[in-house]
Amino acid sequence: MSTEMRKPGDAPREPARREFFFAGVGALAVATAGFVAATFRFLLPNVLYEPSRRFTIGRPEDFPQGPPTFLPDHRIFVFNGGTEGFYAISSVCTHLGCNVKKGGPGFTCPCHGSQYDENGRVVRGPAPASLPWFELSVTPRAQLLVDQDRIVKPDFRLKV
Amino acid sequence: MMESRPTIRQRIRTEFGRVTKSVMRIGWPQTDKDRAAVMISSIFLHIHPARVSKHALKPSYTLGLGLISAILFGILTLTGLALMLYYVPYPAEAYRSMKDLQFVVTFGVILRNMHRWSAHAMVAVVFFHMCRVFWTGSYKTPREFNWVIGVVLFLLTLLLSFTGYLLPWDQLAFWAITVGTNIAAYAPVVGDQIKFLLLGGHVIGPTTLLRFYVMHCVLLPLAVVMLVSLHIWRVRKDGLSGAIRVDTPVAEKGGAFPASTKTYGLMALTRRPSASVDARDPNDEVFAWPHLLYRELLVTVAVIVALHTVSLLFMAPLESIADPTRTPNPAKAPWYFLGLQELVSHSAFIGGVLVPGLIVLALVALPYLDRGTQGSGRWFAPERRVANTIYTAVVIVAVILTIIGTFFRGPNWGWVWPW
Repeated sequence: MSTEMRKPGDAPREPARREFFFAGVGALAVATAGFVAATFRFLLPNVLYEPSRRFTIGRPEDFPQGPPTFLPDHRIFVFNGGTEGFYAISSVCTHLGCNVKKGGPGFTCPCHGSQYDENGRVVRGPAPASLPWFELSVTPRAQLLVDQDRIVKPDFRLKV
Repeated sequence: MMESRPTIRQRIRTEFGRVTKSVMRIGWPQTDKDRAAVMISSIFLHIHPARVSKHALKPSYTLGLGLISAILFGILTLTGLALMLYYVPYPAEAYRSMKDLQFVVTFGVILRNMHRWSAHAMVAVVFFHMCRVFWTGSYKTPREFNWVIGVVLFLLTLLLSFTGYLLPWDQLAFWAITVGTNIAAYAPVVGDQIKFLLLGGHVIGPTTLLRFYVMHCVLLPLAVVMLVSLHIWRVRKDGLSGAIRVDTPVAEKGGAFPASTKTYGLMALTRRPSASVDARDPNDEVFAWPHLLYRELLVTVAVIVALHTVSLLFMAPLESIADPTRTPNPAKAPWYFLGLQELVSHSAFIGGVLVPGLIVLALVALPYLDRGTQGSGRWFAPERRVANTIYTAVVIVAVILTIIGTFFRGPNWGWVWPW
């Protein structure tokens, strides 16, 4: 029944069919949006085929005293402080992720010239944070174990 | 006397003519009517108008920069398709396939050079195109939104170039992407998630390479094709800026096919107070066939010749294989990001996120803020002195920063002289 056919005085016909149609389309749209939003999770990998963040680096006596040993594969500096003990500092510049190099008493970054002191604290340059220190421990097989998910303060020393 | 039967030669010509006619309905146009019809009836040609203003045809007005960008995109698509036949998106294999392209595959090195140099050229040309549109005030009504599409296309061009940068998997690629993705990590709140999403993990690895490959070869080119179609379609609908506009219809002085007849069929559909033809001076216009097409062909040939010359003379760089344990000193991003890297060397958040973010925001908002209609369609119109001065100043700063980053920065990002 089209609107034109309505006689004057009739109450406007309740547009039930149209409302039902809109409700149906709306529900479908919400469901589709939900599916799309949920599919976003697809983009985040559940398994990372990356090197472990907890690894052994060798026996304590492998690391000579004095200047630190740079382990390029793990991107860390390992220090043997003699009687004081061992500690490990990250070589990943906190600015944009380049490898810092040992230079002078501290470290310098080749990418944007950030400089750190011997404890990894920022001296100058754009780096926003100090180089992180990683927790060291000794395994039962007398190997040094680095855990990159455990950040420690710069007074950390591992006595062997 | 018997009616002479057509010779075999005549029959072949007739049949061949019928086949040609079935492919190209108009054929080679001989009359003005056909010159208009050929433009409208072909899907490839109809992104051009049938008639085009003489002003828009002047090489000194547009410099052909939009056209050159499109040609470069076409060349990049073709050379890219060819390279994909040999390229393997897996770290060590990727580098090996680059070496193959360079030393084993016939003409592989030329195709790779062309791909690399057209990519660099496209970044520059798209940027110049944006400058041209600004300096001629062409983003004014009714082209505001087309400017916004253009800004998005510029960003897509940068992203395309950037994602392609990782694919060779050499030192240059690895560290440029390390720096680039770490800049993304400085974005507020979601920075680390963006980086994780881009890399597909915490470090640049096989997943990252595959993601960049898919973005570079499928996602971004598709987006560019869609937006370029929209961009050109709107130019076609709105006309080029700077055409002579008149308030009342002007009688056409000559020509067999009056311009104002061609949209009569559309008059019932148009919502404007008057169809656009009424506001144009038909005496300012010439047929796109052959005037526009001839110029396009000429520019296309010139670009192809120039690219071949450059690709024969200059080799695209390929350094040693990517080594996550050894950062080259200095580690530099591609040249078009070196201005950004120079800013980032002072502060990662301000230089890498805040300043570029604000510039993009300003570019998008520009046509809606600068609403005057004066001075559109001419280079450096005096009425637009303020807008032009601000824009030029920003461009000069960006260029200076890029030059500093490219030539004046050495080991540890310290100051060096380029000589």
